[in-house]
This record gives sequence, C-alpha cells and structure tokens, in this order.
Amino acid sequence: MLEFFNYRTIWEYMPLFEEGLRNTFLISIVSLFLALIVGVLACAARLSNWRGLRAVSIAYIESIRSTPLLVQIYFLYFGLPTLGIRIPEIQTGILALMFNSGAYIAEIVRAGITSVPNGQIEAGISSGLSYFQRMRFIILPQAVGVTVPPLLGQAITLVKDSALLSMISVVELTRSGQILTSERFMPAEAFFTVALLYLVIYFFLKYLSGWSQKKLIFRET
Amino acid sequence: MIRFQNVNKWFGSLHVLNDINLQVSAGEVVVVCGPSGSGKSTLLRCINRLERIQKGKLFVDGMPVHDSTINLTKLRAEIGFVFQQFHLYPHLNVLENVTLAPIHVRGMKKKEAEELAMEKLERVGLADKATAHPEQLSGGQQQRVAIARGLAMSPKILLFDEPTSALDPEMIGEVLSVMVKLAEEGMTMCVVTHEMGFARQVAHRVIFMDEGKIIETGKPDQFFDNPHSDRAALFISKILKH
Ligand SMILES: Nc1ncnc2c1ncn2[C@@H]1O[C@H](COP(=O)(O)OP(=O)(O)O)[C@@H](O)[C@H]1O
Ligand SMILES: [Mg+2]
Repeated sequence: MLEFFNYRTIWEYMPLFEEGLRNTFLISIVSLFLALIVGVLACAARLSNWRGLRAVSIAYIESIRSTPLLVQIYFLYFGLPTLGIRIPEIQTGILALMFNSGAYIAEIVRAGITSVPNGQIEAGISSGLSYFQRMRFIILPQAVGVTVPPLLGQAITLVKDSALLSMISVVELTRSGQILTSERFMPAEAFFTVALLYLVIYFFLKYLSGWSQKKLIFRET
Repeated sequence: MIRFQNVNKWFGSLHVLNDINLQVSAGEVVVVCGPSGSGKSTLLRCINRLERIQKGKLFVDGMPVHDSTINLTKLRAEIGFVFQQFHLYPHLNVLENVTLAPIHVRGMKKKEAEELAMEKLERVGLADKATAHPEQLSGGQQQRVAIARGLAMSPKILLFDEPTSALDPEMIGEVLSVMVKLAEEGMTMCVVTHEMGFARQVAHRVIFMDEGKIIETGKPDQFFDNPHSDRAALFISKILKH
C-alpha cells in the first residue's frame, strides 16, 4: 500500500504536522507538570487528618475516574463560558488534561507513600524525627522508586489522551491529520503520519523512563 | 524514671490498659510478660507516646506524657524503642540508619554522628557491617543494628517489644547477649519478652499482664518458680512447654 502513498502531499502539509506535533508536545508537558502539582496536593489532602479535606479529595478523584475524559473536556469547554470564563480552547484542553491526570497521579503517589511499611514510620517517630523529616528521609526516597514507572505510564497515557482535544478544535497532532483529511481526502496518509509522530513521542518517553529508572530507583543491591 | 498512675486506655470498647500503676526507677530492668493481646505492646507504646493514654497520669523522666503540650521530640529523644520486626530503613545502609536521628534530631555534624554510630555498632558487634544494607544482614544482625540505632540517641530508657520473637532460634542468643550487656551497664530497660533465661539473668522485676491489667509483680525467680496467681501459673506452664 505504501507505493500508493502520496508523499508529496504529506511533505506539503509538513508545516501543519509540525504545528500539531509542537502543540501536542507543549500541551502534554504543561498539563503533565500541572497535573503533578494537582496530584501531589490531592494526595496530600487524601492522606490528611482533616475529614473535610479528605472528602473533597476523594470526591474529586472518584468523579474524574468514573467519567470519560471526553465528557470532562466538553464539561469545561461548554461549562466555563457559562460561568463567564472565556479562555482559548488550548487552555481549556490543558485544564481538562490537568484535572484528569491529576486524579490518577494522586492515586499513584498515594500508592507510593503507603507502600512504606508503617513500622518504619513508627521507628522514625520513636527516634524523634518530625513529620517532614520522616517524609523527606524515610518515605519519599522509597516512594519515588515505586512511583516513577507508573508516572511515566501516566505521561504516555496523557500524550495519547491529548488527541481528544481535537474534538474542541485544538490544532494538535490528531487535529492536523483531520485537517489534511478534510482538505485533500487522504485519511491513510494523514493518520499514518500522525501515528508515526505519536510513536516518536512514545519512544522518547520510553527512553526517559529507562534512564530515570536507572537514576532514581534506590540502590538496593 | 517511668511512673504510671492509674493509667487507662481503650481501643473503642476494648479496655486495653486497665488502671495501670507501675514505677520503674533509673537503672532498673523490668520484664513484661503475659498472653498475646494482654496489652503489653500498648503499655510500652504509651511510654514514648506512639499511643496516647486516655485517663490517669504518666511521667517519664519528670515529663508529663499525659499532657498534650509536652515536647514530644525531647521525650522521644530520651527513649530508644526496639521493635519485634526491627524496622530498619531499607534504602539506607547500616551507618545511615544509625546516624539519621542523631544528625536530624540532635543536630550533630555528619562526621561526629558517624563516629558515635561506629561506637554503638562496636557495642553490638557489627562495626564491620557499617556499609552493608539491611537486607544483606541476618535477622539477628538487623535487630542488633536496630539496638545500635536506639542507642545512638544516647537515650535514658530503652524499650524492647518482643525483640527476639521474629528471629530464628539460632539468632536469639546474639541479640539477648547484647541486651544483657546493656542491662549490666545500668541502662533503664522495659522488655516485653517470654525469654525466661534473660529475665532470670538480668531482670530486677517481672510484671505479668492479662486483659489489660497488671496481675502480678515479682522477682524473676520467685515469679517463675512460685507465681501467686493461677493465671500466671498457667501462662508459665505454657511457655515452659513451648
Ligand atoms: N491500634 C489498635 N486499634 C484497635 N485495637 C488495637 C490496636 N492495637 C492493639 N489493639 C488491641 O488491643 C489489645 C492489646 O494489644 P497489644 O497491646 O498489642 O497486646 P500484646 O502486645 O500484649 O499482644 C489486643 O486485643 C489488640 O487487638
Ligand atoms: Mg505485642
């Protein structure tokens, strides 16, 4: 089938794919960064002693996990303007991905933190270490090793999920494929190129993941 | 050094410490025994406030532990706690396990803390394992590191909660002999254990608990050979058979 491919058209549309790739990359990085912050905060709230805070965090996490991302995107896309908040689609998309991934990241981080046996924490308490010292010297160093692989998995999911932003006409990678399809009716060329570019991002993150596992997982011999 | 005055504690409706009165003086070695679930661990855990008492008074080295405003860091710095399951930090090596609290709680310089830690490791016979990781050590060695970790804060009191119960029989001796040495050097110790030999050798007193109450107190030989209560007699016959 490849010989029927219209490479010239793909080449011609390269600037569009470039824009799509750039936006997918940018959206993913920014959303992931914000989602990490949201996730850590939501996890802290989830583990806090204050019941109200815990309830809010659980409500947030569960409502995200129980609804489709596309619905969440539409919810913000149509919901924010009714609240009088008008922001560009791309920012609406980043917000949606941030809230979505934030909920999953909160659970990943929580699993990491609760993987440290309670006895070690009691040993820390018994020797007079404060809450933050226990976090810093006992819990986090061990939680990181458990947390990094699923976090990178979540990052890969986020990149693929960002394709849904094409539904609110953000010109990211998938949308650029749609544009080529509608202008020239070449869906095979369009989505083959799109898939290839997603693959490039995927391998980049995979590489990052392998590297970070070597660097971050604690040196238990 | 430690004084319980009419101390009570409940877990929900379970009366886990029932009107405990107990005094441990400086340099004294007290062995606590009793059936499982009788409240021995809880008794120990109240002393460094891993658990809070709900009624009564508890003083440790003059500090009112029942008072919610006391300085917990100061209290805990004076008490070493050795757990049944050791609970070493697996991501740190032996030396780092021992120096963590001296550096961050006592504010010692790293160098100074390491010298202190080596001295404590020497005392438990593990100076040559300083750079090993916990999972490279046997259970007995891990427990001795845990004791060194407790000693590194130069505590006035050491608490042991069944320190040999998780160990293979052939490793119990090495841990007990470290504890005997500490006892002979005049450390104040409360030890939850069923090791009768240890109790007879170094304990000044044995306390027998059942269902949250102190049933009986006595000198080790008197307690093990001629217990006053039927419950204690039954308990001793069970651990002898074991
Ligand atoms: N955190 C807790 N919450 C509820 N019950 C507990 C808790 N810790 C201990 N208990 C209960 O209190 C009783 C005494 O426990 P413990 O002090 O551990 O006894 P021992 O050390 O003598 O075996 C047991 O019945 C135990 O199940
Ligand atoms: Mg116990």
